Amino acid sequence: MKDNISERARWLMCAGVPALAAAALRRWQLASAFEPPLGLSVPGAQASVILVCVLLMAAAALAILAMSKYSGPEEECCRWDLVFLGTGDWAYPILEVLAAFLALAAAPFLLKTGWDQWQAYQIAQAKLAQGIDVQVPSNNGMLAIATAAGAAASFLGLLQLGRDGLRPGKRGRGGFSAALPGVAGCVWLMESFRAHAANPVLWDYAPLLLSIVCGMLFYMDFAGISAGAPRPCRLLWLAGMTFILSAAALVSAVENGWADTLLLLSQMLAAAGVLWRLPPSLENPPKTKAKPRPRSFGEESIQEETRYE
Amino acid sequence: MEHWKSEEERNSQARPEQLPPEGGELSGGKPRKDSSGGRELYMNVRVLVTMMAVFVMVFTFVARIIVVSGPSMESTLWGGDLILVWGLGYTPRQGDIVVLTQENYQEDSIVKRVIATEGQRVDIDYSANAVRVDGELLEEDYIKEQMFVPSYGEGINHVTVPEGCLFVMGDNRNQSADSRYPDIGIVDTRCVIGRGLAVMFPFEHWKRL
Repeated sequence: MKDNISERARWLMCAGVPALAAAALRRWQLASAFEPPLGLSVPGAQASVILVCVLLMAAAALAILAMSKYSGPEEECCRWDLVFLGTGDWAYPILEVLAAFLALAAAPFLLKTGWDQWQAYQIAQAKLAQGIDVQVPSNNGMLAIATAAGAAASFLGLLQLGRDGLRPGKRGRGGFSAALPGVAGCVWLMESFRAHAANPVLWDYAPLLLSIVCGMLFYMDFAGISAGAPRPCRLLWLAGMTFILSAAALVSAVENGWADTLLLLSQMLAAAGVLWRLPPSLENPPKTKAKPRPRSFGEESIQEETRYE
Repeated sequence: MEHWKSEEERNSQARPEQLPPEGGELSGGKPRKDSSGGRELYMNVRVLVTMMAVFVMVFTFVARIIVVSGPSMESTLWGGDLILVWGLGYTPRQGDIVVLTQENYQEDSIVKRVIATEGQRVDIDYSANAVRVDGELLEEDYIKEQMFVPSYGEGINHVTVPEGCLFVMGDNRNQSADSRYPDIGIVDTRCVIGRGLAVMFPFEHWKRL
């Protein structure tokens, strides 16, 4: 138990400290590395350089930590999906359920943004049809509406993850639900890119896009745990990087509206859940008692017992 | 022992397609249902999600595709053309076609040609249909037609480009809001998103820029 706590604490520290540093640096960058009135970035600004260094160092440190802990033999006997099923630990399911509700809370804001954009687009089109010279907005709001639907789908997926965290260890398929927020992340990514496509200042939106990409890949690896394609080492690294990048992106997202803020918080909590639950099992993944033996086609499966070494 | 022997016999008689696929994972003493739709679906979705991530990262940091809107670059570019724009490590040079955003004019990006870079002197003579940079007449075989004085007046037509800035104009001089237009004016180099490399679509317009 002590080992579990120290392992968790180490990982949470390794993700939490760089996350705090990245957030503080991002705030410093926003205050010092952009020129008014257009907000163009100052080339070679200290805050930007240090932020990049911190992110790179955090990525390297997490990668080294993950690889050093993961032994990786007997892959075929490991049941990584069991790590995320109910073991009497409440922290993980609570984090996932909270993440689910944060994703759901983002949906109305996205819907309103999309609806407003759609109306502005329709009004401009109508004026254009009447022969009035008006610039038609390039964004018709559909991507924001689709992102709202994605946020609702993420809610369902994350809620399922939370529920699985409360149930005893049957064959895990709950992790597969993580694919939902992963796919929804694609729409969110497109929407965010579309919203900033004409912005020449990369620093305005690069942290947000990177955190979304990291979150998408994290969710997909999370889903892989239950889909027979586990990559625990990479999952842990992606969870850590999602946590760190989301913290950096959160600083500017707070100033730009609720939708991105809530979605970033959601993926931060989901990542924190994995950082809490996975590290103690990295060296000794749950394995099955039974030795692998061939099973003829059509033979009924049985629920096997599990043990933690 | 008898049980295992008989099971092995049973397995040896199984048809090849009934055995776990090569590379199929065994979990908990049972072959995972690799042939089931779940894993296949997951692998396909993972590829799609990864591709999406890669595409957006490339579009953000390396190159992107932009749709031309409006007549200001005719007859080099036409409305609806899709152009490939390179952004990574790009420094604007005279004569390049660039995509830039001047937010005090409009939120969407615009496509123009770089006429002069920092430190260069630009003189536009409407009566002679001539643009001089550092006193030298530009040979502009790309412009659509002879230019006339714009509706907003001559605007900025005699200027030395400040440090870190660009003077840009559209190839369709009579229908282009560009550096001559006071609302746009001299453009900061940092407003440039990238350089137009080629027209990608429609295919009949395909060309290197």
